[in-house]
Amino acid sequence: MSEAPTGRSLGLLVCLQCRATVRALQVPHPRCPRCYAHLFQRKPHSLAATAALLVCAAILYIPANLLPVMYTRTIFDDEQDTIMSGVLVLLQSSWPIAVLVFIASIVVPLLKILSLGVVVFSVWRRSPRYRTQRSELFRMVEFIGRWSMLDVYAISLLVALVQIRSLAFVSVGWGALAFAAVVVLTTFAARTFDERLLWEAPP
Amino acid sequence: MSSVIVCPSCDLAHRVGMAPASVGTRCSRCRAPLQRPENGNIDTAIALAICALVLFFLSNAYPLVTIQVNGTTRATTLLGAAMGLYTQGHAGLAALVFTTTVVGPFLQIASLLYLLFPLRSAREAPGQNTIFRLLAQVRPWTFVEVFMLGVLVALVRLSAYARVVPGVALWSCGLLMLTLAALTSRTTPGQFWRWVDRSRT
Repeated sequence: MSEAPTGRSLGLLVCLQCRATVRALQVPHPRCPRCYAHLFQRKPHSLAATAALLVCAAILYIPANLLPVMYTRTIFDDEQDTIMSGVLVLLQSSWPIAVLVFIASIVVPLLKILSLGVVVFSVWRRSPRYRTQRSELFRMVEFIGRWSMLDVYAISLLVALVQIRSLAFVSVGWGALAFAAVVVLTTFAARTFDERLLWEAPP
Repeated sequence: MSSVIVCPSCDLAHRVGMAPASVGTRCSRCRAPLQRPENGNIDTAIALAICALVLFFLSNAYPLVTIQVNGTTRATTLLGAAMGLYTQGHAGLAALVFTTTVVGPFLQIASLLYLLFPLRSAREAPGQNTIFRLLAQVRPWTFVEVFMLGVLVALVRLSAYARVVPGVALWSCGLLMLTLAALTSRTTPGQFWRWVDRSRT
């Protein structure tokens, strides 16, 4: 089978900002003639940057799930909630919401870290198999990743609302910060990754 | 007449017609969206942006929710959610919430209005390229729809202990979410540069 013509083989660059296809010029730092964004054949240091951000996110995923995200102090008792115990509390009042939070806060970040891990590893190995599926997996991960911020917003609202002195008082735990860091780091990891690396010819 | 475009997701070159696509096309190799169809004119986009701006101000000016426990009432605004985190010493988290719910949507709406208004009369805003690139950086950090669901989760958790009254901002925030979604789908980078190219010829 003959090689399909690619931007690289034809000497064309595509602007990732405005999606214009332009002829590659032999200058040090080419810029898009239409929107003046930097043009790259491939995003620089893509694989290393994505892998580094991903490792950080994977490490922070542990405290994000083990440390309490929220402390509740009422006249009756003191409570501390991790992400998981928060889901269990919700399960008593409304199970659809509990399932939603479970998926958004526990399944989605884990899925995101694992999928990005698979994608990065396969690019590093230059695996030629299931390229279309991996490409679609990456785009799906990019799309659903934002939903894991759900719990951070819910906590921020509870903190702002439940400040009734002598009755109930809610404060934030460090788990919430670790959790938000996982979301931000994985978002950056997905953004630094260059999808075109998935389609690089095997050695 | 035809021209060559390169898929930004897998670098495959495609031969396409010169006319703007009437239907969306996908890359034949990686199935990423390649061309989006022409959708709506610039006036619709401006109208949506103005609508979003009004909703944005409403969402920030009025309380989001009010709770009542034993005769005590407490309300919070959109800004209050970020401020609550800040007063508890979590400046990083507060900054993240503030950026994704207030700064992000505002920059997105304001920069679009700044770009589209002059373009409507075939002129280009000063610093158009810089603002456009800023817009592309800001877009992934607008989490209004996730915030709305977060509010819902918080309300369900509270409803067991307190009387919860939804405020004006809750409704306007919901509408803002829908308006922003419509606005974003109508002002894709491809569509924006199509307007620019058209004003240049």
